[in-house]
Amino acid sequence: MVKTRGLSKYYTFGSGNQVVALKGVNLTVANGEFVSIMGPSGSGKSTLLNIVGCLDKPTAGDVYIDDVKIDYGNAGNLVQLHRQTMGFVFQGFNLISTMNAIENVWYPMYFNKVPKPERIKRAEELLESVGLRDRTLHLPSELSGGEQQRVSIARALANRPRLILADEPTGNIDSRTGKKIIDLMKKLNKEQGITFIVTTHDKAMANNADRVITITDGEIVD
Amino acid sequence: MIEAFLLAMRQLRTKKVRTLLILLGISVGVAAVVGVTSLGEGIRVNAVGEIEKSHDLTLIEVSPGVSNGNIILITESKVRAVSEYGSVVAPYTKDDYVTLNKTYFKANGISAQYMDAKDLKLEAGMWLEEGTYQIVLGSDIGEKFSKIEGAEIGNTIDARIRLYGEEGRATDKDITFMIVGRLKPTGTDTDDQAFMDMNIARELTGKDVYDGIMVKLDKSSQTPAARTAIEKLGLTCYSAQDEIDSVNRIMNAVTLVLAFFSSISLIVGGLMIINTMIVSVYERTHEIGITKAIGASELDIIRMFLSECIIIGVLGGILGDLLGVMFSFLIDSVGRPMLVAQLGIADFEHLTVINIQILAAGFLISLVISVIAGIYPAWRAAKLDPVKALRQL
Repeated sequence: MVKTRGLSKYYTFGSGNQVVALKGVNLTVANGEFVSIMGPSGSGKSTLLNIVGCLDKPTAGDVYIDDVKIDYGNAGNLVQLHRQTMGFVFQGFNLISTMNAIENVWYPMYFNKVPKPERIKRAEELLESVGLRDRTLHLPSELSGGEQQRVSIARALANRPRLILADEPTGNIDSRTGKKIIDLMKKLNKEQGITFIVTTHDKAMANNADRVITITDGEIVD
Repeated sequence: MIEAFLLAMRQLRTKKVRTLLILLGISVGVAAVVGVTSLGEGIRVNAVGEIEKSHDLTLIEVSPGVSNGNIILITESKVRAVSEYGSVVAPYTKDDYVTLNKTYFKANGISAQYMDAKDLKLEAGMWLEEGTYQIVLGSDIGEKFSKIEGAEIGNTIDARIRLYGEEGRATDKDITFMIVGRLKPTGTDTDDQAFMDMNIARELTGKDVYDGIMVKLDKSSQTPAARTAIEKLGLTCYSAQDEIDSVNRIMNAVTLVLAFFSSISLIVGGLMIINTMIVSVYERTHEIGITKAIGASELDIIRMFLSECIIIGVLGGILGDLLGVMFSFLIDSVGRPMLVAQLGIADFEHLTVINIQILAAGFLISLVISVIAGIYPAWRAAKLDPVKALRQL
């Protein structure tokens, strides 16, 4: 599903100082795999996720999705990947504050040109599946952290992606709620065969993964 | 697309006060342009109305033309050619006479058709009889004769005409006219003219050409075509439309200059939109980052911001037109009595005129400025780096 070859990322600051975020990372994630990436803060795990998620560009190296090399210079290509292949779940939920739950869920389908009735139907189903059928008209500020994260998972599922990239999805919620989120993600992985790449500090998350990868100083340790 | 506007509308509603202020900013500019343009248009319409009231738009005055340095005279054959284009075609002569008391006056040698064409109306006395030395006076010249010469209707008046022979030698001829009638005042140069029988006039001067032709048409809409046809014969034409055209030209220029200066406030409105939109992009950086991550293209982001600008433009245009109509009404209700009192000109109905073109222009100006003002902020939003945008809270 995902393959990186010699993936490197350097940040050069105005002062001329260079920070290495990723150093020649080779990673292969199989179709339907649930992979956890662990590592201390600043180890480069978020950078890796952002590059695989086409939000950031690598300094060197390549990323392949289904054996097709991502052309980071082709904005249209990146947009298509966002719309059709991958979904994001963030640590800070990143819901749009002026939109209620169901609108947040159908918003990715709006950009994917899905007709409105179909969009609303699917958003309702998705909210149902994450157990938030009765919260559809609530604004993010009216939802608890766990509820917000479930809305954002529903949103990530909107365009039926085959890959979900989650950046510390349980980082901002208590461990009991975090457990529910992990269970939900595992269930999606098992039942729908969606590939998950999840960065985390959470041992519970790592324990549920098919494979745990540890990154330190921009390099995969084991 | 409709949905893009609904989403944009919602975005604007969340910032009510700010949106209202931008709308006011742009609509005040539009109102200034609409008000000033309506004033220019009003003056134009009044001026044209004045011309139409005092001139006959179905009348063409033909005079000798000049072509390649040669004078094209109005000969009998030209009159016959011209007569195809008008319902009444009246050739006439025009000569200068002087009384023994040195009162100069122009006497037109006319036929019955001329009276029809010019629609001359008697105030006193009667019409001249053909083949006689009777004259009918325009109102001003009639008054002059009565004051200076002491000559009233029924009196005779002695006059002299100076004729130039072929070698340029001048000979004077004395004639005694009988004043038989006086015309109603018209406010045109007819008031300064005397009228006599055309055949007598030609006999006196020995002219074998005419000095002009009055061509009367059934409808004013026929005037331009008839005029073009007559001009093709090499003759010169004049109609009231010439004056209307020149008033239109001048007023268009004046209105344009006025509108240009009042549009400075539109620039301010445009800058306000740019400023507000940039602030809005900054505030929504995080949201833009999310939007990009869930599949919005740069074009989608641009569309998102431009939709807001289009809504501002449309609402600003409508509000601006409404304020402009009020402004125009204010100019009319304050300015008109002042002008009437100060200039002592005859009262007229309205000083300002609002028409659909002015309103459409105001609306379009608002829309165009709003969209242009939105381009840069929208482009900036589209180009945001999603990673940095997502990091910002």
